[in-house]
Amino acid sequence: MSKFNNFRSNLADELEIPNNALSDNFDLRMHGNKKVIIENHLGITVYEDNMVIVNTNDQKITVKGSKFKIEEINNYKVIVKGNIKEIIFSMKE
Amino acid sequence: MLIFKLMYLIRGYVVIHLDDINSEKTLNILRRKNIAVWDVERKNKGIKFKISYDDYIKNLSLINEIMKTVNKKGLMLKLNKVKFRRGFSIGLLILIVSLYLLTSMIWEVEVVGTNQTNTNKILALLSENQINIPVSMSQIETKKLETMIYNNFENYKFVEVFVEGSKLIIFVREKEPEPAKIKSNEPSSIISSKNAIISKVIAKSGQPVVKEGDVVYEGQTLIMGIVKNKNSDEFVMVPSEGIVYGKTYYNFEMKEEKIRSVNVSTNKSKFVYYLKINGNSIKIIGDKEPYENYNYRESNINVPIISKLADISILKGVYYEEVIKEIEIDEKTAQNKMKVSMYDELLKRCDEDSRILKSTVNFSEDDDFYYLISQIEVIEDIGQKIRIFPINDDMTEETKED
Repeated sequence: MSKFNNFRSNLADELEIPNNALSDNFDLRMHGNKKVIIENHLGITVYEDNMVIVNTNDQKITVKGSKFKIEEINNYKVIVKGNIKEIIFSMKE
Repeated sequence: MLIFKLMYLIRGYVVIHLDDINSEKTLNILRRKNIAVWDVERKNKGIKFKISYDDYIKNLSLINEIMKTVNKKGLMLKLNKVKFRRGFSIGLLILIVSLYLLTSMIWEVEVVGTNQTNTNKILALLSENQINIPVSMSQIETKKLETMIYNNFENYKFVEVFVEGSKLIIFVREKEPEPAKIKSNEPSSIISSKNAIISKVIAKSGQPVVKEGDVVYEGQTLIMGIVKNKNSDEFVMVPSEGIVYGKTYYNFEMKEEKIRSVNVSTNKSKFVYYLKINGNSIKIIGDKEPYENYNYRESNINVPIISKLADISILKGVYYEEVIKEIEIDEKTAQNKMKVSMYDELLKRCDEDSRILKSTVNFSEDDDFYYLISQIEVIEDIGQKIRIFPINDDMTEETKED
């Protein structure tokens, strides 16, 4: 995370406003292990039946599982549906 | 998501199949172009997804270059096709609407079972109550009409209103004239209405032909309306007046179950909804007969505006679950119940002035039932007045010839 983005994130926390309103951090929500909603993303890198990799500002989010289907994808959010077994966050190279 | 899909179903969407191995790249291109993509599914070689018809038109060249369109769906696309055949579509729509309106209205009223004068009176009554032909079927409440006609005309003993096709049929049955009452000055006799033992004869006029202690049978003459003239040997016919009391006997045999099955509610209920169109019901939500034993009630829900224009409403049915429980009835309750039934039955058979002289009631029981065997001795007025007619001379001569 860049220093400026870190500062914006801390400021959002202090002001008690949603973090993604000021920073470029992604927002990830899960509905059980059936659905994952990732907001503030930069696109999909890999889409397979058992794995989806979503690109964000600083990190790559790898969602592993089975029977994956992208319910919706637009400029702002991506909704992945299926049997989720694992979510891995890795820093961008 | 459902609203989102429904919205695109109305506005139209395009199903696209992409056989490219690097399908992620295409998805990212579409995302950058601000095209909303949904229902992305991986197929054998590539992916299948949906985009809105508006986006498809805007980016037609790009999409045709990199991918293959499979299917176009949605209400707007269907309507666009219809646009080319506008005249035919409008005509068809008018035909359907006209047919529906024509068949959901009443165009004729037919009155069966009475003369033309009364028919006109019934039609006038309908007009007074704002039922003018043609009228929508939804405005006709047959039960209400039946009550209205029955209350307004005293000479009908039966009224039935029903709708057959586009015709309202009012079926009436007129009352038959009541039999004339016997006037006090007409010659009459008094006969027995029941088998009895005569207890007392009080004859005000007429000749009593039975005395105390006589056994009489139903239809037997008790006081005769033919008496001998005091001044001559001739017989004259007179109106009979008097009261004849007789002892009558009534036998009763009754039985009551020892164990009775009773339906008890479990407070569980399930709903079922039907769409009612022109009297036909189509089930929309819920199950029919969800319980083995149930009590069913239904109510009609009128849809605002639509129910007024056409005969469309929603029928709500509720199934209340019930269980059958067996209840043992004790001897005293059963005996009381049988006694009450016995006296009810006796009241139906006797007059109000009757008096019970003696009653013998015996109770018994077996494995399944309680029994009542009784004999009631009643004293009551058994006389029944009948009109008598003189025999014509011509008729007597004819019988002699025969």
